[in-house]
Formats: sequence, C-alpha cells, structure tokens
Amino acid sequence: MNISGVISAGYKSADGKRPPTLLVVSAAAVAFAALIPVAYLLIRSIGVGSEWFDIIWRQSTAAVFGRTFLLIALVTVISVIVAVPVAWLTVKSDIPLRRVLSVASVLPLVVPSFVMATTVIEMYSPKGVLQGWLSGLGVDRLPDIYGLGGATLVLVLMTYPYVLLTVRGALRRIDPALEEAARAMGYGPVHTFRAVTLPMLRPAIAGGSLLVALYTLSDFGGVALLRYQTFTSTIMIQYESSIDRTLAAVLSLVLVVIAVLLLMGEGFTRGRGAYHRSTVGAVRVPRRFKLGKWRWAGAAVVGIPVLIGLIIPMGVLLHWLIRGLVNDQELLPLLVPARNSLYISLLSALITVMTALPIAILAVRFQSRLSRFFERSIYIGFGLPGVVVALSLVFFGINVARPLYQSIWLLIFAYGVLFLPASVGALRSSLLQVSPRVEEAAQSLGKSQWRVIFSVTVPLVMPGAFAGGAMVFLLTMKELPATLILSPIGYRTLSSSIWSAASEAFFAKTAAAALLLVFVAGVPTAYLTLRGHDDNSDSSDRSPQVKDTVR
Amino acid sequence: MRMPWQRKRNEISLPQSSAPASEETGVIHLEGVECRYPGSDSPTISKFDLLIKPGEFLSILGRSGAGKTTALRVISGFEQVSAGYIRVGGKLVGSSFVHVPPDQRRIGLVFQDYALFPHLTVAKNVEFGLKNLSSEEKSDRIAPVLAMVGMSGYESRYVHELSGGQQQRVAIARALAPDPVALLLDEPFSNLDRQLRTALRRDIKKIVRETGATTLLVTHDREEALATSDRIAVMGDNCIEQIGTPEEVYQNPVSAAVAKLVGPCELIPGVYRGGVVVTEAGVFPTRVTAENSISDGEQVLALMRASELEITLSGEDDQRTATIELREFEGEFSEYSIRLDSGTLLRVRRRAADGLEADNRVVVSSRDQSKVIVFPV
Repeated sequence: MNISGVISAGYKSADGKRPPTLLVVSAAAVAFAALIPVAYLLIRSIGVGSEWFDIIWRQSTAAVFGRTFLLIALVTVISVIVAVPVAWLTVKSDIPLRRVLSVASVLPLVVPSFVMATTVIEMYSPKGVLQGWLSGLGVDRLPDIYGLGGATLVLVLMTYPYVLLTVRGALRRIDPALEEAARAMGYGPVHTFRAVTLPMLRPAIAGGSLLVALYTLSDFGGVALLRYQTFTSTIMIQYESSIDRTLAAVLSLVLVVIAVLLLMGEGFTRGRGAYHRSTVGAVRVPRRFKLGKWRWAGAAVVGIPVLIGLIIPMGVLLHWLIRGLVNDQELLPLLVPARNSLYISLLSALITVMTALPIAILAVRFQSRLSRFFERSIYIGFGLPGVVVALSLVFFGINVARPLYQSIWLLIFAYGVLFLPASVGALRSSLLQVSPRVEEAAQSLGKSQWRVIFSVTVPLVMPGAFAGGAMVFLLTMKELPATLILSPIGYRTLSSSIWSAASEAFFAKTAAAALLLVFVAGVPTAYLTLRGHDDNSDSSDRSPQVKDTVR
Repeated sequence: MRMPWQRKRNEISLPQSSAPASEETGVIHLEGVECRYPGSDSPTISKFDLLIKPGEFLSILGRSGAGKTTALRVISGFEQVSAGYIRVGGKLVGSSFVHVPPDQRRIGLVFQDYALFPHLTVAKNVEFGLKNLSSEEKSDRIAPVLAMVGMSGYESRYVHELSGGQQQRVAIARALAPDPVALLLDEPFSNLDRQLRTALRRDIKKIVRETGATTLLVTHDREEALATSDRIAVMGDNCIEQIGTPEEVYQNPVSAAVAKLVGPCELIPGVYRGGVVVTEAGVFPTRVTAENSISDGEQVLALMRASELEITLSGEDDQRTATIELREFEGEFSEYSIRLDSGTLLRVRRRAADGLEADNRVVVSSRDQSKVIVFPV
C-alpha cells in the first residue's frame, strides 16, 4: 500500500474512496478551529455543576425559549412564503422590470440588522413617519411596532433573501423538460408547480430556511432595538450585567444545542438525491410563463418586499444625511473606516473561502461520518451570536494565542468562524454540479489526487468560490458585535462607526456610514445576482454535453 | 466524413505502446478478481478472469448491471479489489493488499459521458496528461494526436462548443496522448445517435489499429462488440462466461445466457432424441456445443435464431403449423413474426422474394438443414 494510503487508512468514505491525507488534515484543522468557541463555553460551564439544570429550567428561561422558538418559526415560515413566489416570478415569469427587480429583491440582505431596525422604528413607531401621514387620514394608533411583530418584520426583511437565493439557483437548474413532461401529461401550471417543481425545490427551501433560522437565533441588534427578548439578547444582557460570565456561557451552550437541532432538522430533508446532472443533453433555456394582464401584479409581489426592505430604509437614511448636511455635520473621518472595512472584508472573504474548500470537497466527494461531522461542526458558528464567538476568542487570544490578540488576525478568525458556512454552502453546490467523472479522468491521465484538486476541481468551482466569497464579504461588512469586541484599539470599520455615531446621535454620520456600507456591500452582491441571471447557459458550461446534430 | 488519415496515410506515427508485455503475461491480466462495494453483501464482480494480449481489441459484453463498468474501474484503479490479482504490463497493481492509485497506472480511460474538462480548451484537454515535456514537445505531441482523431483546427475551442461526436474524438485523443499502456472505453458510443455511432465506431477501430493500442471496450451493444473486437468476453452475472472471437461466441455460445447476449434469438423447450430436437415448432437437427453433454430423452432448450429459420406455406398433412402474425419489410430482408399454435412467438428473417404475407399458415424449419444449438435446461 502506498504511503498516503497507510496514513489515511483510518478515513474511508462511504463509497470506499480515500481522500488525500493533506485534505483530511486541513479539513480537520478548520473544523477544530471552528469549534474553539464551543470548547470555551464547555470549559466555562464545567465549573457550574448541578446548578446547570436550575439555570436552564428557571421560569424566565423557559419563557425566553418559547419566545425565541416562536420568532424563529414565524420568521422562517414568512420568509419562505415571501421568497418562493419572488424567486419564481423573477426566474420563470415575464414580469416587467424583471432584471432590476431580481437584483433589488436580493439587496435587503446588505442592510445590517441594527440599521434596518432603526429605520423601521423611524417609519412605523407610534411617533414615526407613517403615523404622521396617517393621522391626517384619521388613523390615531398604528399597531405597536415593538415586540414580536416588529422583530419579525425586521428579520423577515433581512433574511428572506437567503431563501430567495437558494431557491432561485435551484429553479434555474431544474431541467425544463421535467415540467414540460408534466404539462404534456395533463397537469395544469399550478398542479405542475405543486407536483414537480416544488418537490425539486425542497432541498433549496430547506437550506435557505436553515440560514434564516440560524440568523434569527443569533441576531442581536434587531431584536434589541425592537425590545423583543430572545435567547441571544438574554445572553448579551448576562454578559454586560455581570462579572461572572458562567451563566452566559451556560446559556450560550444551550444556543449551540438549538443550532445543532436545527442543523439536524435540515439534514433530514436533504435526502439522498444526486444533484449533478447525470443525463446527457444540454439543458434548454427555460421558457418564461406569460402572465398577461397579471404581469404588473407579479411585479408588485416582488416589489413590495423591495419597497419595505430596501427603498424605505434607504430613503430614511438619505433623509437623515441631507438633514445633517444642511446642518453642516462633519463626514470626512469616514474615509479611514471605509478603507478598513473594505480591506478586512476582502481579506476575510479570501481566507474563509480557502479554508472552506477542504471541508466542501470532503463533504461532497468523500462522504463519510467524519466529513459530515466536519461540515456540521462549522455550521455551528453561524448559529452562535457574534458576541459569543468574539468573547470566547478574547479568552482564546489572551490564554492561548497571545500574539494574535489585539491584531486584525483574531478578528478575521472570528469572521471565519461566523461565516464559513456561507462559503462552504456555495462551494458545495458548485461542486455538486461538477461530475466526479471529470476528476477521475484527470487522475487516469496521471495526476495525483492532490494535483487533480488544483488543476481541475478548483477552476471548476470558481463560480461557487466567488459567490461564497461575496457572501462572506457582505456578512463581514455588516457584522457588529465581533467587530466591536475584537478590533485592535483605534481600528474602526464602517459598522463600528455606524454604531458609535448612532449612539452619539450623529444622524448624518450614521446615515452616511450606513449608506456607504450598503453601497460597498451592495455592488458585488448586485453584480453576482446579475451574472447568475444572465448566465442561463451556466449549467451547460459545466456539464457540456451538447447533443450531437446529425451531420 | 473525411478524416485526415484518409488522405495522408502513415504520415502520423505514434509511439507503440511501450509496455513490457508479452503474449503470456498480457497487457492487462485479471485473476480471480472480486470487488464488493462497502455495505453491500454480494460482490459486484467475483472470480473474474481476463487476459488482454498486446495490441488486442477486446470487448466486455454484458447487460447493464452485470458489473462491466466495475471491471473497468477496477482495472483503472478507481475501485479496490477485495480478492484476486490485477497486473498491468506484468506488474501487480491491485489485490487485497496492493493498490496502485489510478494516476500511476498509465491507463487511458474514455468515459461514457467523456468527462472532458469544461474549463480548458481542446488543446489543453489533450495536453493535460502530458508530463515532463517541454512546451515545444507537448505541442509536437498534441498536433498529431488531434490530427489522428480528425480534430485539427479545433485546438482553441472549448468543450461546450463541440458536438457530441467531436467531444468523443477529443476524449479519445486525450486518453491516447500520454501513450497509455492500454485504452479503456466505457460505453463510448451510447450517447450518440445511431448513424453517428456507426461512423464513429469505424473511425475509432481504425485509429486504434493504427496506433496499435491495446484496447478494452465495455458495452451492452452486441452489434458494437461483434463489429469492433478481436475477442469478446461475454459477462453473465459478476463474472465472464465465455471468451472468444466474435465468430466463436456467436456460433458456439456455451450457455443460453451467452447466446441471448450475442444475438437476437428465442429459446424454446424441446426433447433431445439422438441428433434431433422435438419442439412445438417442429423437429430440428441439432448440435451440442463442446462444454455441454446431453443424453437421449433429456429436456433441452433449442436456440432459434431468426436468420437460421425458414418458413414455407403449410400443406394438408403438416402437423405443427403456425401463423404469420406480422411481416416487416426492411429492404433486402423481411422479418416475420410467427405465432405457433401453442402460442409461442418466433422471429424469422429471410429474403423477401415469395409472397408470404400476414395470416398465411406456415411450417417452420431450419434453413439449409443447419443444425440448431441445444442447451441442457
């Protein structure tokens, strides 16, 4: 047996293939690093002993549990209800302004939750703009924005794009022949959607919902501003209000358990389907449904979340900015934070994608219990609030990795732990579209497994790497708690500038920084959305079997 | 379609396969190979013996699911064997304790769906397997290989800009470029339409003959196997049932299963009586293939091939009669579906000269007194 065979003998995938040892080692290192925060929480909680149960089953904790699950359920369900029609309308129908709307419908993603919450309060609170307009019409009281309603609104607006993106990708990949076959067998359009399209979208909906649920679980800014107490905000209060962080650590550990449960739930729905095309013949460009007189109604369905989630918040920010400029407020100091944000976000996007690659390759090509463990363990980071990850890394930095402490590398580490899943997800779906036969062909031509990865796999998953990188870039730009806690002293980014300007009530500065952030993060997002949009031939690029014409 | 070598023959010369193989050791030699997928109880292939001689074109013919592709993946190193030995060029590359990875076996593999690299041009695809060569030497190598498969001028195209047949040619060029010990083709024509398939089959046979490459073709298409191969290995379930030239396996199949795989036929029950078989279709002279022995009065299966049967209009006192159910005119020949009075359906293929039509009552016999093969039940 050759040497690498001996070393990786312990690792054997379900179909008996052995991955290169270096791949397993690097994936293990990444998974291990991603689990550091959980390890910290465990160490913290060990001292607690039997009080553990008392803390968790305390009356108030149970109530927080209930509120958190209620919010997660509401946000996830409503996000799916909003996102699936928007995805279908922007991919499969002929609504007017289709391209503009399909880009705009993704963009609420780039608005940070504390910005979204601030603008929602400005608009819809009892003293808000909408109330002002409506009192002229005799409406005295709007329903209270604070609490469950407002928190749900803010989180749905920010998270429905996660479902939208995954479902849209799946819709584009569905072979139109399948739907045509259903139509030919006498199924109407609605029945076809229910019987053929929707079941094929199931993994995408589940994957997107998982992201929504995990985001909701970990969001702090939005729920705090709208005064809805969830698990995460409880933990935050514990961290801030007491010197003993044990209680918070125990609660955080419960949060990890919830995240694991959510992950397992999604795992059940993923099933055993193969998603790379195994059949021959080019995918035809799908025909769009003609909506006729319903075209504008369709556009409205897409337009409403865009209006509430993007245009109105931008309007509020612009209003603040102009009001501040009129009053001569200072904006120039934002240049350095903008440059810092750009630099650190690009760097963490690059590093995160590179570290995601071994995990994704292992998970897709060499499926085994271990590869599933690696993949799942990095997803936990997404369910953790930024503050938990940041504080555990402070502990790690001071006690273990002293040279990293107070450097931007520890900050990047935190971003990696938090956002690895986003890039692993994108790489994973890109990899699923690359036929394993192509890699075997490379190997039969004399390239070792390791070199196959670099000469064939990596170039072919570039689209996924870009998409994943853009997502990490965007999330890094938006992230607040980890940035506040782990930034070296004096290191300011756009999101920390927004936070400090807002807390000092410099509205113009807040608005300028927020608009800048949305713009910088929005451009790559819009570009990627557009590219995915134009590129209808993209599946045939990757499995290039154009049917032969008789010559 | 005109190919470059049809005009300028012998101008391209590819180095002959450099494997130190002899007639005895074989280029590829499998002995008692067994392969089982983890988690499944029964092996996909077992007791698999095969010896491929240098320069030979050998086909493995079997129905889908018989384990043909597994055999091919075992040889190329993508599956590990659980028992037996695999030697390539005399060197042990696979057994329960040795596993040389695919990249060190020097076997050229052409995949069913071609598996060309979509991110590379045609020339880069062909160049992919060339190692330790200067860029000049590489291009010196790429040009003749592409010319050989008739794809000169397509160097800078991307794969998705090619038709299926062209992709197929590039896949073969890519596999041949590094001068492999042997060329393995996995159902290479199954993705092409019928006309193209025949044309390409001839081209590939020609290419392979010119390079002298040892070739193993895996297919479920009997016509393909019969037309291209020097020898055919017919696969039953999990192992090879018979190896021989196309003529041998067609004319002397060792079992009913092999007979069914190598040609369209019906097997009808009968009783063996000293040189003849008595069946519901009539009494036929027989021959018994070497491997089988049959005693008088034994129940047998008689192999009825459409091209070896004859039908004539029945007379008054014929006992076993049948009805023509359908006549399909195919140009030179007509194929008749014959319903025996017992209900069994036979096919007869004959020149369409006389006026036998549907609903005629006929008698079935063997053409020119040719002998029908019988197998023990």
